[in-house]
Amino acid sequence: MEQEVERYRKPTRILHWVHAGAFTILFLTGLILFIPALGFLAQDSWTRLIHRIAAALFIIAPLIYIPLNWKATLRGVKDAFSWGMDDVGWLMAAPRYYFLADEEAMPPQDHMNSGQKMWWLLVIVFSGVFIITGLIMWAFKTVAPAALLEWMVLIHDIAFIVTGAMFFVHIYLSVIHPLMRPLRTGAWSSMARGKVSAHYACSHHAKWYERISKGEEIEHQ
Amino acid sequence: MADKVILYDATRCTACRGCQAACKQWNENDEYIPPPSDQRGVQAKSHGSYENPPDLSPQTWLKMRFTETENNGKVRWLFTRQACMHCTDAACVKACPNGTLYHHEFGFVAYNKDTCTGCGYCIDACPFNVPRSTRNLFTGIAKADKCTFCTTPGLDRIAEGLEPACVKTCPPKALQYGDRDALVAEGRKRVQTLVAKGYTNAYLYGEHELDGLHVIYVLDDTPEAYGLPVDPKVPATTIAWKDVIQPVGWALGGLTILGLGLNFLIARESKIKKEQPAKKEEPAEKEK
Repeated sequence: MEQEVERYRKPTRILHWVHAGAFTILFLTGLILFIPALGFLAQDSWTRLIHRIAAALFIIAPLIYIPLNWKATLRGVKDAFSWGMDDVGWLMAAPRYYFLADEEAMPPQDHMNSGQKMWWLLVIVFSGVFIITGLIMWAFKTVAPAALLEWMVLIHDIAFIVTGAMFFVHIYLSVIHPLMRPLRTGAWSSMARGKVSAHYACSHHAKWYERISKGEEIEHQ
Repeated sequence: MADKVILYDATRCTACRGCQAACKQWNENDEYIPPPSDQRGVQAKSHGSYENPPDLSPQTWLKMRFTETENNGKVRWLFTRQACMHCTDAACVKACPNGTLYHHEFGFVAYNKDTCTGCGYCIDACPFNVPRSTRNLFTGIAKADKCTFCTTPGLDRIAEGLEPACVKTCPPKALQYGDRDALVAEGRKRVQTLVAKGYTNAYLYGEHELDGLHVIYVLDDTPEAYGLPVDPKVPATTIAWKDVIQPVGWALGGLTILGLGLNFLIARESKIKKEQPAKKEEPAEKEK
């Protein structure tokens, strides 16, 4: 069997899927307020209740993960904010890669490539935006000034549009894009099983592969 | 269909609150009278005014407001209605995400309580602070309510050619119901009469506000004096949300899906081209 390396530990994978599941429910129950033709689904507040249950999951899941995986959290946040020349190079070369399957100009990447990092940064920032605006609308609905609540709706919706559009991109680039299949390898494998082939790690995440080959902090992902 | 309105003449109103009672009776809105131990109910306690109950509620769609002002050392006691104004440019209709609130063929703002989602956006958007809701803060289950202009299904007086319950009951005929044009003309005449009598601030409220309200007030003083918003507007945030952010969201979401589909087709072609011609085409390609 081909040699494999661990890419995401089990707690991280669980967090990913719980968060992804909660986000999908939040996304769908929010989306029906954007489509007047589907608005009848929201009648009698049931989607509001489902939205709140998913929101609780969305907030609680990372709150459980963070203290139990403190090092991985720090590491992940640091990764999200570490940007360099290889990222610029990656973003410049990405269109040729994703359209023309030409990966020659792609600079070596760390544990996350620049695109993944962009999405991850977006997730961190907009989770905060969603949670703050959402909690204000949830807890202070009857006491907050109307203007404040209107602003919260506006900001919540802008976050919804940005993350919603990028959510499609995330799913597409992870499992649908012609270069990302078959599912045995790459993004799907790393999040579903936690492992990728050493060959994949070396070719797509050269900097990371080099570090883990030297036996460096593989456990903190 | 010609728009219909209620004309309320504050100078004829005796504040008997018969309209409040008739509104509740016709629309089957019994008020929950809480025992003193229940602090959650709308307490019917004295707060220095003959106003009662103290505020609108999901069960109170119409309430008379008493305003005491002083003019040259003389106390004036002003009466006005506190209820839905049935705007033409209605913020609640704009804010409502699923069309629960809509314009009746006569121009009123009616709503279908069954489809209400409980989002409360109408409550935040209303420039007159009129809609109220029952609301469970924890679960978010809620229903909004407000004056329906007596068009509640099953209790629809308008469809039967009757005037609204409040108008029907008004003893001094301070409330009138009829065609908008006729009652606006009537209102203008009364304002002119008031001005001639020395009420120089007299004003017909609702003729032009928000493209015309469907409840019009004859006032013998400025709207401020009566505690009414001067030049009410649909909030800018409501307009930005519905007319800018949501269309942009649609465009962005659509373009994203379109772009990804396009990318899929091109990338698949590129991939097939790369793999099929015996890998000789690009000898420079390394195994990365």
